[in-house]
Amino acid sequence: LTHLTSTLAPNASTARTLWLSHEASTHSLSQQLTESLRLILAPTLATKLRGDFRTGKRLNLKRIIPYIASGYKRDKIWLRRSMPSKRNYQVLIALDDSRSMRESGSMDMGLKTLTLITRSLAMLEVGEVGVVGFGETVNVAHAFDKPFTSEAGVRVFEQFGFDASKTNVRGLVERSLELFGEARGMRGGGGSGEENWQLMLVVSDGICDGHGEILRLVRRAQEERVMIVFVIIDSSASPPLAAQPNAGPSKSGLPHATDPTMATPASQGQSADKPKEKTSIMDLQSVEISKEGKVVRWKYMERFPFRYYLVVRDVRELPGVLAGALRQWFGEVAGSA
Amino acid sequence: MESHAEVKVPIRLTTRDPTIELPQDAGVMLVQTSLRRPQLSSLVNSLLRPDANPIPFDILVNGQFLRTTIDEYLTKNGVSAETTLELEYTRALVPPLNVSSF
Ligand SMILES: [Mg+2]
Repeated sequence: LTHLTSTLAPNASTARTLWLSHEASTHSLSQQLTESLRLILAPTLATKLRGDFRTGKRLNLKRIIPYIASGYKRDKIWLRRSMPSKRNYQVLIALDDSRSMRESGSMDMGLKTLTLITRSLAMLEVGEVGVVGFGETVNVAHAFDKPFTSEAGVRVFEQFGFDASKTNVRGLVERSLELFGEARGMRGGGGSGEENWQLMLVVSDGICDGHGEILRLVRRAQEERVMIVFVIIDSSASPPLAAQPNAGPSKSGLPHATDPTMATPASQGQSADKPKEKTSIMDLQSVEISKEGKVVRWKYMERFPFRYYLVVRDVRELPGVLAGALRQWFGEVAGSA
Repeated sequence: MESHAEVKVPIRLTTRDPTIELPQDAGVMLVQTSLRRPQLSSLVNSLLRPDANPIPFDILVNGQFLRTTIDEYLTKNGVSAETTLELEYTRALVPPLNVSSF
């Protein structure tokens, strides 16, 4: 490996211990996710009868009159059962390696999420799994063309120190689209009508800058038929709300000041000495202050640039919400095909 | 659209002075790293007394008065924008003369 590994990254034996413990603790959740994904990702077995053929299983009644009228020349009057096209999946999991993951306490859940998803996909055996780490730069921790074994998991863990001083999500999406492009090229040779479905799962605390530029890249991903699901780890201590897959386009609009009465209800009268509770990403405010001191505040998530995102406070929620988001994606892609 | 590629840092506002405590904890807020004391003072005013005439606040980071942009502070102290910055505000003792300078 040529990349610079953070000094905080675990050594081989710590990484192994950690991987094995996460693998064991998320085992039943992985199975649960595998079962849901099997239902969603499996190509539809029910085939349709399609025309028009010279021989076949059933007559296409609409073709009979023209057939006779043409003096029995237009003889493509048969329907055949067409085979469903084989789908190949390339799934890239991008885990946030920035320092905020460490400081917000999202690191452990990030690794658990990574374990759960990679184990599920490996059990499913539907395609290729890649893993990247991102912070200031993007590190390919596991390439698409290698099988994702437990040993691969250990190797991936060794590459996460959660110590990067920037969270460059724009760079991540840019680089990932390149990786997906290359991966498409690698499989392009077959040409047997195989469909290539590309999915990216970003696992992060969700805090990043430059939403305008990210939004542009998210649109590009959509054009290139790469689906991005952003899994936000919300490690705030507040009681869990229902995790919510966000349907519909991310809300845009003009900045507006948030109602001050909407601030966290349980936090009145805190002084500097009292311990502060963590702010949930759902309550996090973004502020823009002009040089002259004009203050505009809005809820950070109101302008989150990713269309599909999940807010997860506990790994146990993950199989359900992730399956929900993917089911919605498949519905849309299948509907538009 | 937001201004392009602006770096933001999470902050939390605190004060030791009970008379200027925020009525409600604003929690963590993401602000531009290009901000200086006067803009942060505006932020405190907007949270504390949005309808009154603004009063000047000084901003302390780790016990030091913030005299530069947040970004310059972070660079000088080797802190990354990944870390939530605790900003303490106090009533400015002497109204600063350089309000409009930057
Ligand atoms: Mg970060």
